[in-house]
Amino acid sequence: MAILEAKDISSGYGEVQILWGASLSLEEGKLTSLVGANGVGKTTLLRTIVGLNKPWEGSIWFEGEDVSKLSAHAKASMGLVLVPEGRQLFTDMTVYENLEMGATAQRSRARMAESFEKVFTMFPRLKERRGQKSGTLSGGEQQMLAVARGVMADPKVLIIDELSLGLAPVLVLDLFGSLKKLKDEGITILLVEQNVQMALAVSDYGYVLAEGRNEMQGPAKELINNKEIRSAYLGI
Amino acid sequence: MQQLSLLLTSLPDGILLGFVYGVAAMGLTLIWGVMDVINLSHGPIISLGMFGTFFIFIKMGINPYLGLIPVAILGLLLGVAIYFIAVHRVIDAPHLSSLLATFSVNMIIIGIATAALTTSPYNVDFNMGSFDLGFTTILGTRLIAAVIAILVTGGLYFFLYRTRPGKYIRAVTNNRAAAELMGVPSTQILALSFGLGTMLAAISGALIATFFPFSILSGAGYELKSFVIGVLGGLGNPVGALFGGLILGVLEGAIPAFMETSWVPVIEFGLFVIILLVRPNGLFGAKE
Ligand SMILES: Nc1ncnc2c1ncn2[C@@H]1O[C@H](COP(=O)(O)OP(=O)(O)OP(=O)(O)O)[C@@H](O)[C@H]1O
Ligand SMILES: [Mg+2]
Repeated sequence: MAILEAKDISSGYGEVQILWGASLSLEEGKLTSLVGANGVGKTTLLRTIVGLNKPWEGSIWFEGEDVSKLSAHAKASMGLVLVPEGRQLFTDMTVYENLEMGATAQRSRARMAESFEKVFTMFPRLKERRGQKSGTLSGGEQQMLAVARGVMADPKVLIIDELSLGLAPVLVLDLFGSLKKLKDEGITILLVEQNVQMALAVSDYGYVLAEGRNEMQGPAKELINNKEIRSAYLGI
Repeated sequence: MQQLSLLLTSLPDGILLGFVYGVAAMGLTLIWGVMDVINLSHGPIISLGMFGTFFIFIKMGINPYLGLIPVAILGLLLGVAIYFIAVHRVIDAPHLSSLLATFSVNMIIIGIATAALTTSPYNVDFNMGSFDLGFTTILGTRLIAAVIAILVTGGLYFFLYRTRPGKYIRAVTNNRAAAELMGVPSTQILALSFGLGTMLAAISGALIATFFPFSILSGAGYELKSFVIGVLGGLGNPVGALFGGLILGVLEGAIPAFMETSWVPVIEFGLFVIILLVRPNGLFGAKE
């Protein structure tokens, strides 16, 4: 059964419509990728799913419940968590406090000690720098913190918008490794990633978005071998 | 020489008063920092705090320092109410909307209070003795007010840095959307912050009433001082506000030793303009 489903979503900013009936569905425990060229509306779709933007049309279902009208904080408390594009850290707060804010929901706060251990094992670098203001971290460290903050929420569905943007290849590998670990723990993951090749390689399923609509979808292995995708997104 | 003795006489008073100004400014600056709203109803809320002391002490005979507790609670509730009635709807609108909204609240409070209490001065005849320092005497009420102001600042600092709701306030200040994404109910946090801002205003008013006469219009002057202090300490930086208050207090204590007292506002607001021009983030940094 799908743990998260977005059905025929239309949305946009002000008068400008960006999404024209986009849909996606996440299988529980699976890693799904959402790919597409710049500006097609990937971020907009994610923001609409988590409640930062309101859907103009269509509906969003989480664990069988219609959550289309819920606020972002209510959805986050239910375990639907977005690691936003551009990190969006609390730059004036320390690394530790950022992580603490990650564990805001009742359910995640109960497991805070455990979650701290988990993210500090995953990113030992953050443990070393836990007293540092997050705004002064390096780009890579900030990205680690953004992901770690999402993990602190003890998510059921973790949505990550741009995992590897601007990071060194070694670090990207590390982050993808961490992602796999999270998946093995049973967390459902939705990933938006510029590095399409890598994203599809670790994913179970994939969606291709074009001009605010679904262009293609299928098991990641099939997409990665699809001719159109290879030429359009992989440059092969 | 004569100036020096004048300075010694008036400086301690100014410094003590400065801490109380700091609390008033902290309220203004907290609201600005969290939600980018200049609360133009700050002044009348300071005045309401003053009347709080008046009613609690004169009418009910309760010690004004004990009376700070109900004043603080009422100030908090009033702020939360103002937030939901007047501010919430315009929170994402351009600044002019929230300025007009809080200005309307300002006019409503002044209007009602003028009808009920008139604008003639009230006085709380309250005495805590005085201390002779040799070169000057310090009123007990002022000393206690300063001590309470420092305790309130410490309490606010503790709240913002050591408690969950306080950290939520800082998180919302920093990045409201991200706070929502973490499950922080940002609207409630904004309302709480507004309430805390008005609570601080009410507390400062309640303290000032223990040594100065006042009317419903008196708060306006302290609101203006709060602007100057907010800019000195960096708008959006509550703890900087205490230092800003101190600086203003020192100026108010020192200027009368060298020139007419009527120059005080001229110099204060001259400073305001200069700091806005050269250090718009305030002397102590903070919000960009
Ligand atoms: N706040 C906004 N106001 C108005 N238009 C916006 C806003 N945010 C995004 N857009 C527009 O919506 C369109 C889709 O943007 P979106 O961020 O969803 O794209 P994206 O697929 O995530 O792109 P990228 O891969 O570059 O991150 C773009 O044309 C963008 O200019
Ligand atoms: Mg994007």
